[in-house]
Amino acid sequence: MTETDPEPLDPAMAAFITSHLSMQLAATDDAGLATAVRCVGCRVSADRRRITLLMPRSQALPVLAGIAANGRVAVVFNEPESYRTLQLKGRDARIEAALPEDAEALLPYAAGFARNLAAFQVPEPYVRTLVSCAPDDLVAVSFSPTEAYGQTPGPRAGRRLAPGEMET
Amino acid sequence: MSTPLSLDRLRPCLEGIVPSGIATCGVDGMPNITYVSQLMYVDPDHVALSFQFFNKTRQNILANPVATVLMMDPETAARYRLTIRYLRTETAGPLFERMKAKLAGIASHEGMTGIFHLLGADIYRVQGIEALPGRELPPVDSGPALLPALRRSVDALSACQSLEGLIDSFCSSLERNFGIQHQMLLMADEPGGRLYIVASRGYVHSGTGAEIPYGVGVIGVAAREKVPIRIMYPSSDYAYSRMLRDQAASSELAERLETAIPLPGLPEPASQMAVPIMAGLRLVAVAYVESRQECHFGYDLEDALVALGASTGLAMAALLCAEASAEETAEPARSPAATAPCGEPQRVRHFLRDGSVFLGDDYLIKGVAGSILWRLLSDHQRSGRREFSNRELRLDPALRLPEICDNLEARLILLQRRLQDRCDWLRIEKTGRGRFRLDLARPVVLVPEEVA
Repeated sequence: MTETDPEPLDPAMAAFITSHLSMQLAATDDAGLATAVRCVGCRVSADRRRITLLMPRSQALPVLAGIAANGRVAVVFNEPESYRTLQLKGRDARIEAALPEDAEALLPYAAGFARNLAAFQVPEPYVRTLVSCAPDDLVAVSFSPTEAYGQTPGPRAGRRLAPGEMET
Repeated sequence: MSTPLSLDRLRPCLEGIVPSGIATCGVDGMPNITYVSQLMYVDPDHVALSFQFFNKTRQNILANPVATVLMMDPETAARYRLTIRYLRTETAGPLFERMKAKLAGIASHEGMTGIFHLLGADIYRVQGIEALPGRELPPVDSGPALLPALRRSVDALSACQSLEGLIDSFCSSLERNFGIQHQMLLMADEPGGRLYIVASRGYVHSGTGAEIPYGVGVIGVAAREKVPIRIMYPSSDYAYSRMLRDQAASSELAERLETAIPLPGLPEPASQMAVPIMAGLRLVAVAYVESRQECHFGYDLEDALVALGASTGLAMAALLCAEASAEETAEPARSPAATAPCGEPQRVRHFLRDGSVFLGDDYLIKGVAGSILWRLLSDHQRSGRREFSNRELRLDPALRLPEICDNLEARLILLQRRLQDRCDWLRIEKTGRGRFRLDLARPVVLVPEEVA
């Protein structure tokens, strides 16, 4: 991926980020303060050039204010069992209304995330609570990822990934 | 009106059980976010973050020191945002060691042993705490209520008149009031740079007399840094079996160390905590607790044991000094008529080089405790004496006891318990402050061995 010519996401990367992972999204205000919110869903557009993160609006107020101000976002995706971690960044984020299918995806996401955490004996009610969101509180943020970083813990964490590259 | 949020009440969020997110802002205004398990509570106004690699978070923080942490309560799933400001990095000392131990547990839990190498503990001031709305689970009441447990324990300790009583009261308190099943109490030998076990609970063998050098493992690091060390997950980096083996292979200290008495302890503890027991600024002992259950010992229990340790340490120091300064004015308690030793004579061997004593071919103990026993048995052999005073031992130049607060009483307790563990015909009984009696059920033959 380059910043001038956004490539579509690699299919493996698109599959990875929609596999019910642990996700947090960060934004910055114009004074240089970063803030973050936990996300409760993720979808990728058909052409894989745009991704959409879902989050409870009530928890995301400073994040949404930052996005409204400058459109810059960073999202971290972590698969607990494998520790595989990926960060995607973009500069054209915008706030959107959640779609009806986004609300429908909340429960499957919680169930999938709970399965991802089963190896750590995290009780399912905990996971469901952690990612619960009233459907009318759901808000979407979409952006075109222009940078990807491998963040799996270790000395290579933070390395920028080349287009199409996917850490194993 | 709700009370303002205090980091003291949010410490479970900083245990690394649920990773936190840390969001920073680059000089170009781009956000960066990463998961961290190694965020640690320092005090109500500060947290520390481990610095292992020079990554984007660190690069950003050095240019723009304000960041946001998004953290989750591991029981209730409540979410909090902390605004934090980077202050400085510590690369040695108590906080660094606490973090290193914690990191070792997390690294092992995450299958990253050997990958994490702590370069520093980055200290941040907490500028703001925000509770996020949303569903939460009710808090879980786990374990005993700590303040009443602490109160009962301190009450029991203050009734103790002897060091031995104090040691037993401390261990019983951990067991009964705090529900701790596996524990050791180790006395500090400051000049020797090591600790020796005087009491333990929850193991097949008591391990009384087993030693751990300062700096080795959870217990040794707690002693060296005088700071509690707590690990929430199994960690091979801090497993005693391995560390003492490495130590034995590489160190001169190992030669002087008691290695013949095996350490008790769980083979693979899932949670460990060592709390220094201080008398003011002086280390008197270390309490060690462990569990087969992960995340078993939290911040609050650590606080309770530090408080209990402070009370215990002062009481220990007072009893040790009172005993050391006790004059020989008190009449010895009248001993019951001694039963004359009978039966097969027992051979007792003594090696001058390290003070080690063997009962027959079985190793008993070495060092100061070994030399004391040899001296008592020699006296008894010569004169038939059975009654002794701490004072005469202290004045005996052959025993080379440090002059002030020499822990003689603790050595006698160690010897007494080691004898209880290893033989049924030789005993040391306390008969009053600064006095004790040697009880022999068998005649002995003393064999001074040449230097090996």
